[in-house]
This record gives sequence, structure tokens and C-alpha cells, in this order.
Amino acid sequence: MVSLLKTEWLKVKKYNTFWILSLLYIVSIWGLNYIVYNVQQNIYDKKKTGGVVNMIIGNPPYAFPKVWHMTAYVSSFLLFMPGLLMIISITNEYSYKTHRQNIIDGWSRTQFITAKQLLTIIIAIVSTAAVFLSALSFGFMEGSETLSFDNLEYILYFFLQTLSYTSLALLFGVVLKRSGIAIGVYFLYTVVIENVVSGLLNHYADYSGRYLPLKSVDNLIPFPVFENMTRQFLKQPNFSVQLTLSLIYLALYYYATKRKFETDDL
Amino acid sequence: MPEKVAENFTLIKFSTNTIHMQPVLSLQAISKRYGNIQALNSISFDVPEGSVFGILGPNGSGKTTMLGIILDILRADAGSFSWFGTSPSAESRKKIGALLETPNFYHYLSATDNLNITQAISGRGSTPEIESVLETVNLAQRKYSKFSTYSLGMKQRLAIAGTLLGNPNVLVFDEPTNGLDPVGIAEIRQLIKDLAKQGKTIIMASHLLDEVEKVCTHVAILKKGVLLTAGAVDEVLTNEDIVEISASDLTGLEIIIKEFNGVTNVKQDGNHLHVFFPINTANLEEINRYCFSKDITLSQLTLKRKSLESKFFELTNN
Repeated sequence: MVSLLKTEWLKVKKYNTFWILSLLYIVSIWGLNYIVYNVQQNIYDKKKTGGVVNMIIGNPPYAFPKVWHMTAYVSSFLLFMPGLLMIISITNEYSYKTHRQNIIDGWSRTQFITAKQLLTIIIAIVSTAAVFLSALSFGFMEGSETLSFDNLEYILYFFLQTLSYTSLALLFGVVLKRSGIAIGVYFLYTVVIENVVSGLLNHYADYSGRYLPLKSVDNLIPFPVFENMTRQFLKQPNFSVQLTLSLIYLALYYYATKRKFETDDL
Repeated sequence: MPEKVAENFTLIKFSTNTIHMQPVLSLQAISKRYGNIQALNSISFDVPEGSVFGILGPNGSGKTTMLGIILDILRADAGSFSWFGTSPSAESRKKIGALLETPNFYHYLSATDNLNITQAISGRGSTPEIESVLETVNLAQRKYSKFSTYSLGMKQRLAIAGTLLGNPNVLVFDEPTNGLDPVGIAEIRQLIKDLAKQGKTIIMASHLLDEVEKVCTHVAILKKGVLLTAGAVDEVLTNEDIVEISASDLTGLEIIIKEFNGVTNVKQDGNHLHVFFPINTANLEEINRYCFSKDITLSQLTLKRKSLESKFFELTNN
């Protein structure tokens, strides 16, 4: 496994596109949260609202311990980025035909695809670390409470969520092979298609839209503000069902990707 | 269509004078279909150790498909193959240096960085050896340039360098001189001859007859996925003697020569006749004496060895 990762490292080490996008993505995690943080600061400005907001919403979402939940939720809007990195990594192999050469040179098909699946985990770990550090910095910037690790489980859910996005991206890459179409389909699916289908299902089929592949993992990190109110109006997802479904979908992505690569003509 | 072609040919079984040795590669009834195109139809042959084995065929005859199958890039629909007498595996591929179809490298990496990956995957070679194979293919000066900046010929040289890494005993080349200039072609042919002298087994696909004729000891000829013939080059080339004769009375000559002892076939080719005999049976003096005794004076009498080219066209034009 170490040698697979070492070889994968040799492939990306000098790949500028990968590093530029990764860097921008990590900066954007902090940046997007900073935008929302600024909005929060304006709303909670005592001079304007005189503490009324505090009474309705509760403590600011970027204060400990809520900040873990809030940062994970806001950062999840950038999840198409780690998927994009993963698609670039796999479709490059197809366009350079290096997936063939790697096999010719002596990797088994299983080794090749395992190396890529390990990469989905690495990307998810790095994303999660970036979210953790951003949350920590906003918690301290807010400064309303002392450091607290309550709610830290949301960072773990964020890891699971990122892993689902990167592994689904890998599956799209392995099935579609060409970068342009894989990126287009992945982007539209994650940003538009699943949300539309989910909305329709929620409206016409008793909220079953929440059981769709990405929705099940998205729902592990619900909208972090007005929770009491939404609880009254909406039928709440069952957490353990959502978690179990997310893990089943994840296993399916891995299995389908592996099987596709192992049996295809390359 | 392909099925019809298949019926028209009887597969010529590969005859080998190295039966006692374990073949490096053995194919048994490999078939592969793409939709309604039969890309390979029950291909069987053995590659003896130490041979330079040419796979010859026109474009689209299934050469690359066949190499793709033995390198586990493509899945055969039927049949099996073995490397070194064992069923194929990633481990057996590590012992083979192979280049398939095009040079496949990471465009954003230099020659050295690309070969580092080849080395990491195959376990063949070492850092100093990467330098030396790049010297061998004359790429040392450009080893730090990105692959994307290379000309087609340079890419091909890098691919050959990759196969040489770790000095493997078996090499597979698919159109090795593709994209090279005449000097490059001569260099690569010399390299292949040198490798053969070191006792390496080389499997080489080509549509260039001349190339196969110059470097190969064995040849397999493919057409539309059917194996027409396979064997040692001199066996495939000269399974009959051809005597070229002519005289002023060509019609008279044709009549009498057909009655000559041992003649299997007579064909007119321009203003001379091609007379076919079983291998090593044509006796030019006898022919001359016979014709003279029948009152025909020959103006030309030559024993022709069949060139691979004429053999190739004869086989593939049917």
C-alpha cells in the first residue's frame, strides 16, 4: 500500500494544475466561511440589533461549540472541488493512456485502482484537516466562548461526506473516461440534478429525496441555524438511517469502480 | 465476412525446431470480438526463447489487439495464453519490457520523472540505470524536458528506453520504428539486433515487411484476425523453389515445362514464366537440358528465393 501511494505521489508531485487547484480549494474553504462569518458579524452587531438576534437564534454560529457544525456545513458547498481533483487524476491516466502503461509495467488492475481509491481517502483527509483548522480559527476569532470540542463529530461527518464526493467522482471518471464529459456530468449531477430529483421526491413522494446517494450523506450535516424551527415544520431525517445509507452508497461506489476497472478493456 | 475469410484458410501449425525448450509465450485459441467485427479468430502459436518474433499484418489485422491481450490491457473472449509456462500475472509482466501502440507517458513530467514511475511500478532498473537507458536511445540531453515538448520520434525513443530498463529478457515492441527518421530507424533496428545477440526474446509487431525481414528469426502473419502462417522466417519464406525462365516461344515453353518432372505449378509473369518446385528440388541444369531436348532454347534461367514481400502479398491477397 505504501508503494502504491509512493507511485501516486510521483505522479502528482510535479503536476502544477493539481497543486494550484488544491491550494485555491483550501484557501476557499477559509474564504467562504469568512464571507458567512462577516454576515454573521453584521447581524449580531449589538449597536444595530441590540441583542434581539441573540434571543431568537441563540449564540452566534461561529462561536464554540457550534462552529464545528457551522464550518462543516458551509464548507460542504465547495465539495465539487475535491471531486474535480479526483476526476483530473483519473481521466489524465486515460488521456495519456498511462493506465495501460502502468498495467504493462507490472501493476495488477487491482493495484492501479486501489492506488486511486487511496487517493480519494487522502484528498478527504486533507479537506477535513483544512475544515478543522478553519473552524478552529473562526472559533477563536469569534472569541465569545472558550475552546470546546462538543459537536466535533460534524468534522467526522464532513470527512465521510468528502469521501463520498471523491469516490463518486472516481466512479464517474472510470465510467466516462474523458475529462470534459466526466467533469460536466459530475458537476451537473452534484450541483443540479440530484437536488432537483430530491426536491421532486420530497414534494411528491413523502420526503424520499433524502435517500438519494449524496443527499443521504449531506443530511448528516443539517442546516445549522433555526434548528428548533425547522424541526417543527419539516419531517426530520432519521440520523442512523442516513448514516447507514451513506456507508452503503460509499461501499457501492468503491465496489462498482473496482469492478469496472478490473473487467474493462483498457 | 470475417467468418468467411476464416473458412478459406487452414491454419498452418507452427513447426518449431526448439520443441525441447519452454516457449516464452504460448497462445492457445485466442479470440476477440468487437461488436460484429471478429478482431482475432482462434489464434495459436508459440514464441520460442531467444527468437526475434515478428508479427506481420496489414493495418487492422489484429496485431495490437493480440499484443493488448497478452499484456492484460484487453480481455480475450475465448482462449488462453501463458508467459514462461505459467498463467499470466502482474508478476510475469514485471519481467517484460513492453511498448504498446503509442508512447504512454505523463505529459507534464520529464523523461527522468516518467522513468522513475516505470521503475517504481515494475521494480526494474535503478536511478543510474535510468541515465544509461536514456543514453542508449540518445535522449540524455533532453532528459529534464517535459514529455509534452518532445517530437514523435523522441517520444518513441523514450518508450523504448522504458522497455530497456532493468535489462529484461523479454521485450515486446509494437511498431518500434513508428515516427522515427531514417537514422533513428537504423539505430533502433541495430539496437534490436544487438538485443537479439544478447539472447533476448523479442516480440515485434510491424506492418513493415522489410523491417521484419531484416531483424526477425520467426514470423507470424495475421490478416483480418486470422493467423495465416507462423514459423521460422526461412521456413515461411522458402517452402518452395521458384525458377524464372523465358524463351522466344513462351506458349510452347509453358506446354512442355508443365510436363517436366516435379513441377507443381506454372505461372506467367510478364514475358517470363515462374515454375514452382517443392523446396530444394529445382535443378537448373536438368531444366536447361530438358528444354533444349524439346527444341526450345532458354533466354533466361534463374532460381528465385521468394522474398517476404511476395509471400506476404500472396498470403494476404487471397
